[in-house]
Amino acid sequence: MLKCRELVGKADQYLDGELLLRERLAIRVHILMCHHCRRYLRQMGALLRAFPHRHDSASDEEVCAVMEHLQQHADKQDEPA
Amino acid sequence: MEAETLSRLRSGEDGVFSELVREHHRALTALAATVVGVSEAEEVVQNAWLKAHGAIAGFEGRSAIRTWLSRIVINEARMQLRSRKREVFLEDQVSSEGQDPLGDWFNEDGRWRSPPVSWSYDSPEALLMGVDLSGCLDDLLARMPANQRSMLEMRDTSELPFDEICNTLTLSASNARVLLHRARAQVFKLVNHYQETGEC
Ligand SMILES: [Zn+2]
Repeated sequence: MLKCRELVGKADQYLDGELLLRERLAIRVHILMCHHCRRYLRQMGALLRAFPHRHDSASDEEVCAVMEHLQQHADKQDEPA
Repeated sequence: MEAETLSRLRSGEDGVFSELVREHHRALTALAATVVGVSEAEEVVQNAWLKAHGAIAGFEGRSAIRTWLSRIVINEARMQLRSRKREVFLEDQVSSEGQDPLGDWFNEDGRWRSPPVSWSYDSPEALLMGVDLSGCLDDLLARMPANQRSMLEMRDTSELPFDEICNTLTLSASNARVLLHRARAQVFKLVNHYQETGEC
């Protein structure tokens, strides 16, 4: 049977959907019986879903700087050559 | 992204575009920093927004908008390096130091010695948002080897496909896997400790 340490080693690929059916089944059988690994997988999954939201929204100043840069660029393109 | 927002974006409404900037600018700046360094990241992202603004009409919504924007940022960052005659250089090596960050969580027989505590959070989106924790996470990322940090920013924050990242960073897939595992494991450990003790 898969050991807990081995399961954790494969957890990334499991959560990324990159394991073969046989390997996925071995993990599912293991977590039926092992609540520690079940918890690890659930919480690692939550962590991966959290990552894209890790950064705060940009401040008004930052947004304005980008929009002004766009505006300047557009003005330059409109100028007659 | 909702179809309605997408069609308003494509039609060139600047109000909608500025919301896009608000939502993604900081993540994209962190991404650019992994390639060109912090000091040039802002300039790269400015240029990337120009490109994105010009190309948004062609965005078909097949990938997530974050992924689409991240690709533009990576391209700009690489152009910047080329213009400076530098290259993306990351060690395609897994240093032996640190080994597996979770190694001490297991007994000799491969079972849990110190299993994770149960985490409480309102939603996964909010999991990393606490002020204390996000500061600790920034510190942890700053201390991480550059190749681990890049894997995390590109795969997990920017959600770029794994093989695309390997190409960009010229990492072998097997080493990239190990680097990503170590990076994620360290963050898992940090969050677990924070959940257990309230500090990090
Ligand atoms: Zn287990």
